[in-house]
Amino acid sequence: MRTKATAIGATLVALAVLCAMFATSASAAPAWKFEGKSLEGTEVVLGGAIESSMTIPGLTTKCEDFLYKLTVENASGTGKGSLTEMPLYNCTTNSKVCSVSTIGAEKLPWASKLTTVETIPYIIIEGVKVSIYYLGSKCVLDETLVTVTGSAGGSIDNTAETATFNASTLSASKTELKALSQKIEWNGLFPTEAFQWHREQALSVS
Amino acid sequence: MQKHRRRVVGTALLVVALVALGLTASAQAKLVGNYTKFVQCPYSNPEVRKCLYSTTNSGEVVLGSKKVPIEKPVVLQGGTLKAVEGTAKFVAASNGITLSKAPQNVPGGILGIVPEASSPPLVKALIKFFLENSLTGVNSTLELAKPASEITINETSLVGEEGTALKLPVKVHLENPFLGKNCFVGSSTTPIIWNLTTGETNPPVPNKKITGKAGQLEFLEEGSIAEIKENVLVDNAWSAPTASGCGGILSFLVTPIINAQLGSTAAGHNTAVLNNTLFTASAAAVRENNELNP
Repeated sequence: MRTKATAIGATLVALAVLCAMFATSASAAPAWKFEGKSLEGTEVVLGGAIESSMTIPGLTTKCEDFLYKLTVENASGTGKGSLTEMPLYNCTTNSKVCSVSTIGAEKLPWASKLTTVETIPYIIIEGVKVSIYYLGSKCVLDETLVTVTGSAGGSIDNTAETATFNASTLSASKTELKALSQKIEWNGLFPTEAFQWHREQALSVS
Repeated sequence: MQKHRRRVVGTALLVVALVALGLTASAQAKLVGNYTKFVQCPYSNPEVRKCLYSTTNSGEVVLGSKKVPIEKPVVLQGGTLKAVEGTAKFVAASNGITLSKAPQNVPGGILGIVPEASSPPLVKALIKFFLENSLTGVNSTLELAKPASEITINETSLVGEEGTALKLPVKVHLENPFLGKNCFVGSSTTPIIWNLTTGETNPPVPNKKITGKAGQLEFLEEGSIAEIKENVLVDNAWSAPTASGCGGILSFLVTPIINAQLGSTAAGHNTAVLNNTLFTASAAAVRENNELNP
């Protein structure tokens, strides 16, 4: 009889622990905040990459002007967004023989969501599709259309108000970008700044 | 006077010979570094856009009931013309050896007796000794069945793991003292057509779907050369004609025996799996490398 009571007690404790764990993971889904208050309605986050490059082993492509427009909102307490514009200009490669003829984001808008990886807030961009057309008679990719697809996770720094995308953040967020069937490396540092109702207000994600 | 004239003539001949040698040398490729493997690329042809050098290091060819492992490397080399809708036609290698002839051992030799995998090593060794020697052994050599211009390559499919990446018209040369010199499966009129893919095949039964692999891509020489390692090209939907010309004057007797040994070679009974390392380069870059290194 006493054993049965002990077993029931242990089960209840286990359930309580499980519930607490789920509660923790549920609260881990972060939200967009301005001046520490949760965003209500939508806001537009606009900016240009402080730095960005995409590398297939042996060939790196960079864009001087990498702009983006992200409409963000909180849905059921969790931040999400929609990347609606991403114009890319002045793109070059690290090769003397390969130039970028055209480059552009396709199938916009791309969905985004906030998540937490080991206590660090992350933004995940999904459905990425960027087409790059290379030129150069001595370039092996001459007249070749290279399409970058996949999803990318970047860590958000609330103090610096930036999002960082690199091999570590993509790996930590279990995301990957591919081109020519290869997993590619993408490095990007983007400011996170509101440009509509919360202009010049501190943006954070938690 | 005559001695002096002879010396002048001799010197002139020597100069002519040296100039001729020099010209010969300058006509030859002097490619360096990563470009050396494109020495047989017809890059002097201005229509050639890219050079290709591919080595099949391993894999297997299943023809009916015979499985031949690829143990000796096979090289496919040459150039490609401007692609039309993604597909480029091949241009033969400068030395004419577009597809190298590497005789592969047919396990079990002419009698086709292959020990089971679980057989003791001694049994395997004895069967190999008696059935795969110079008399009873059979070599299978892959040869081009059509001119190189009938080969096509689609780079988008190659790296995209979808569709035909390499179309290769081939024939299989079976060689053995009893089979004579003209024992072939496939010919220029009835070639075996391999539509090789790095993606998934869709073969008729009894074969099942198999999948190739694009492999690991790396750009070399600032993007002038692409190296693809661990590339796997597959096709198991191809058909092959029956063998012909086996046994010389006894062909009417030997060829049916060979065909009986092969079994059905209709589509669904054959497979090609080629594990490759590929190099492709801009022909203009190869040309420049040649010009820069006189």
